[in-house]
Amino acid sequence: EEEEEEETPDAKKSISLPVSRVRLIMKSSPDVSSINQDALFLTTKATELFVQHLALSSFNNGSGKDSNTLEYSDLAKTTEENETFHFLTDILPKKILARDYLKTLEQMQEEEEEADL
Amino acid sequence: MQHVPLLVICGNAAAAPRWDWSFRSHFLSNQTAVSGREPTRASLQMDGDSATTDASQLGITGEYMASSHYVLQSQDDDGEENLNDHEDGGIKENYREQDIYLPIANVARIMKNAVPQTGKIAKDAKECVQECVSEFISFITSEASERCHQEKRKTINGEDILFAMSTLGFDMYVDPLKLYLQKFREAMKGEKGIPGVSVGESLGEDLTEDSFTNPLPAGIITADGQQQNVMVYTTSYQQIPTVQQIQFS
Repeated sequence: EEEEEEETPDAKKSISLPVSRVRLIMKSSPDVSSINQDALFLTTKATELFVQHLALSSFNNGSGKDSNTLEYSDLAKTTEENETFHFLTDILPKKILARDYLKTLEQMQEEEEEADL
Repeated sequence: MQHVPLLVICGNAAAAPRWDWSFRSHFLSNQTAVSGREPTRASLQMDGDSATTDASQLGITGEYMASSHYVLQSQDDDGEENLNDHEDGGIKENYREQDIYLPIANVARIMKNAVPQTGKIAKDAKECVQECVSEFISFITSEASERCHQEKRKTINGEDILFAMSTLGFDMYVDPLKLYLQKFREAMKGEKGIPGVSVGESLGEDLTEDSFTNPLPAGIITADGQQQNVMVYTTSYQQIPTVQQIQFS
C-alpha cells in the first residue's frame, strides 16, 4: 500500500493519517448516518495518539525493551495486562505452539472422560 | 475458565466441534483483498515437528480438516455451556469493519516515532497494530453513535467523540484532543475567505457617500497617441489614522 497524505492547508498537516480512510471505517459501523468535520478530525487525531500509546506501552512492557524490537507478543501481552486495551483481546490472541495446544486438548479430553465416568 | 483467546499455529487446523471450544476462522482472504497482505501472520512458530495431518492422532475425523488458519477460543464461563450461539456471534464479528485498514506505512511511521529512536518494529507487529487501529475507530464510533441516537440526533459531532473516549477509558486523550481541535479551528478560520484579518480596532469613520465624490484623475494614453484624461470614480480612501486593519466582510 502506498502512503497517503492529505493535500490540505497547514492545520491539517499535523495529521499523518488519511482522513478519508478514517471516515470510511467510521461509516462502516452500523447505524452511523453522518459525521461532522470536528468528529472526523478528532477521531483521526485520536487514532494517532492511540497508535503511539499502544506502541510505546507494548515496547516498554514487553520483551521489546531488552531486544529493542517491538514484537507481536509484546502487543498481546500489553492487551491482556492493560485494561484500556482489553477491547483488543479478540483480535490480538496470544500465539501458542501447536504442540502445546494439542497437549492441552488431550488433557481436557481426559478430564471430560473422567467426569463422565 | 478464564476467557483466554489463543491462536493455534499449525499447517492444517482442526475444526472439530467435538469438544467445547468455539471456533472462528480468520477469513484471511478477505483481509488480503483489502490490505494486500499475505496470510502469514498465523503461520509462524511451527514447532520442530511438522504438524500432523493424521486425523486419528488428533482425535478428530478427517472431514473436519481444513487448510485455513483458525483462532480458537476457550469458552467464556463454565465448560459445559453450549457454544453454538457464541460461535455464530464470533463468525459474524469477523465480517465487521475490521476489513478496512489505514495504510500500513502511515501506521508504521507513527509507531516508529513513538518508540525509542533505536527501536525496531517487527513486521507482524505493524500489521497487528493496523488491525487494532480499525478496531479502535469502530469502538469509538459505535459508542459515539449510540449516544447520538439516544439524544435523537443524526450527526455525530466532536462532543460525541470526546464523550465516547472518556467513557471507554481513553480520557487521557481528551485534553490533548481539545487543544488540537482549538488550534485546528483557529487555523481554519484564518484560511477561510480573503486573507482575513480581524479588525484590530474600530474604524474611525464609516465610509459614507462623500467618499465617492472625489474622482481621481487618471491618465490614459490611447492607441493613437493622444492623451486623454479619464475620470475614474472610486471610493476615496481617506486617511484614518486610527484604523489598523480592516475586515472585509
